[in-house]
Amino acid sequence: MPLGNLASVSRFLPELAVTATILLLVAVHVVGKNRQSSASALLSLAGVGAALLLTALQPSMPAVSLFEGMVALDGFAVFFKALTALATIVVIFMSMDSAELSGKSQAEYYVFLLSVLLGMFLLSSATDLVMLYLSLELVSIPSYLLAGYLKGRKSSNEASMKYVVYGATASGVMIYGFSLLYGLTGTTQIAEIGRALATGKAALPLFLAAVMVAVGFGYKIAAVPFHMWSPDVYEGAPTPVTAFLSVGPKAAGFAVLVRFFYTVFASPDGAGGPWTLSSPVDWTLLFAVLSAATMTVGNLVAVNQKNVKRLLAYSSIAHAGYMLMGFVLLTPAGIQAILFYLVVYLFMNLGAFYVVILVANGTRSEDISDYAGLGSRAPFAAVSLAIFLFALTGIPPFSGFIGKVYLFAEVINRGVYWLAVVAALNSVVSLYYYARIVKVMFLEEPAEKAELAVPAFPRALLCLLAVPTLLLGVYWEPVIRVAANSVRLLAF
Amino acid sequence: MLTEFATVLVFIVLGAVTVALMLGVSRLLQPRDQTAVKLSTYECGEVPFGSSWVQFNIRFYVIALIFIVFDVEVALLYPWAVIFQRLGLLAFVEALVFIVILMAGLAYVWKEGDLDWVRAMQENPAGKGGK
Repeated sequence: MPLGNLASVSRFLPELAVTATILLLVAVHVVGKNRQSSASALLSLAGVGAALLLTALQPSMPAVSLFEGMVALDGFAVFFKALTALATIVVIFMSMDSAELSGKSQAEYYVFLLSVLLGMFLLSSATDLVMLYLSLELVSIPSYLLAGYLKGRKSSNEASMKYVVYGATASGVMIYGFSLLYGLTGTTQIAEIGRALATGKAALPLFLAAVMVAVGFGYKIAAVPFHMWSPDVYEGAPTPVTAFLSVGPKAAGFAVLVRFFYTVFASPDGAGGPWTLSSPVDWTLLFAVLSAATMTVGNLVAVNQKNVKRLLAYSSIAHAGYMLMGFVLLTPAGIQAILFYLVVYLFMNLGAFYVVILVANGTRSEDISDYAGLGSRAPFAAVSLAIFLFALTGIPPFSGFIGKVYLFAEVINRGVYWLAVVAALNSVVSLYYYARIVKVMFLEEPAEKAELAVPAFPRALLCLLAVPTLLLGVYWEPVIRVAANSVRLLAF
Repeated sequence: MLTEFATVLVFIVLGAVTVALMLGVSRLLQPRDQTAVKLSTYECGEVPFGSSWVQFNIRFYVIALIFIVFDVEVALLYPWAVIFQRLGLLAFVEALVFIVILMAGLAYVWKEGDLDWVRAMQENPAGKGGK
């Protein structure tokens, strides 16, 4: 039974903490004298930290529906709230160290960042089409602003513009799909839509609606063929923003994808067995093809890139493809594999981008050729980048390997062998371009021999990102247990 | 299932036929004496001059954005005010929270000088012009 508005407030504390921080940041901007001071970064850290703490303390069992059925508070939502809050904290630290962002107005930047976080909180828990759409826009619109935050840089403007145009189209198509669903069922509650569809027979309109909704979500996770925006946006945006976009909104996109499709088109089985497709739409085949296309395009195009940010953009497209493998299986274990992979991906991807920031602070360049000799110029950064890149490839003993093992194992258990073969071939391709960067760093002679200084604080943070990347490759049991507990969706 | 779409097909065909018919009949019946005045954009209005692809002041967009702050406020507060007496104290507090959030936005644009048509010079001119 959904809780009423007043009763819901006490279970909505993480979101309220983020909202209060956003308002405080606006106040700081209006009242404060020095726009470049790090006060707003510290304030946002405190706010997001409080939200993370409140999320962890929140009882998610039993799952409840809040605000008359608008959002759900279940293990799944709590998992994604914790994940996105953690990513935001890391990105705040990265932003404080970034030379690109220093000298820019700080409070406004963090207002946008925290607005995206609030949107991601709501997106991973929305159970109503209207709420779902609103929270998706709350993620998107500040993201456009963040991508264009370097007003003086042309590529940043281009990034923002392309992001807006693609985003508007995708959400337009998606909301048309929503309207079809509403027309077929007469309700905006996704659980009720699922129940209504289980008995109906309107297969073709339903398939159309599913495809249209998939456009909107596919755009958020940058799945092929809705990935066109991401290389340009990732390259043009300030690097901390790129890191944020490649982890946060992508994770929230997966959250909403899973919640929506599993609630509307399948019936979750509380006992932990496989879900059953309860509607005539066979969307799993559709997404299996999307998954294969996404990882193949991402990996093949990444091979030829000269710019590190662009390369990481294509690699993050490929990783979305790997994660989609777990989505098509209709098993809790598949979803669990996605959740685990997202945790691993958070550390390794943010870590890789962090090194890119540190190197760019010193060399003002993001070209792979400028990474030549980094192994001798900045050994610490080079070694950590190598760790993150090998983890992204999925080589044991790094954590990326374990993440992939879970995904592959589920695909093979369910007998979708062709997808496993495609993914394995893709991993080989990805080894080539990740290893190329490592080769450039350690085996090529630098044009300039001067040492690149990495201050103590970034070193510590790099360690904090590298340790989980290594540790989760050896001892991952607690995380997989948390993921297993978080698979259960609210079904009321 | 496909028969359901027969309705759609009939609709499309009827629509196409109607448009063709209307344009065709008008083509047959219309008098055709095309003078320079007839061919101008506004036959009975202003004489258009210049290209319509001109840049105009970006401040129009800013003002339009700021308008949303007040627009949203009014759009929500009108229905709220109509049934205010039945809603009681809780609704009053909720509306206050809502207004405070919007006021934060207003304070922001005020401080940024976006409420003035001619924008005052900022203390920090680094943000203006160039980089």
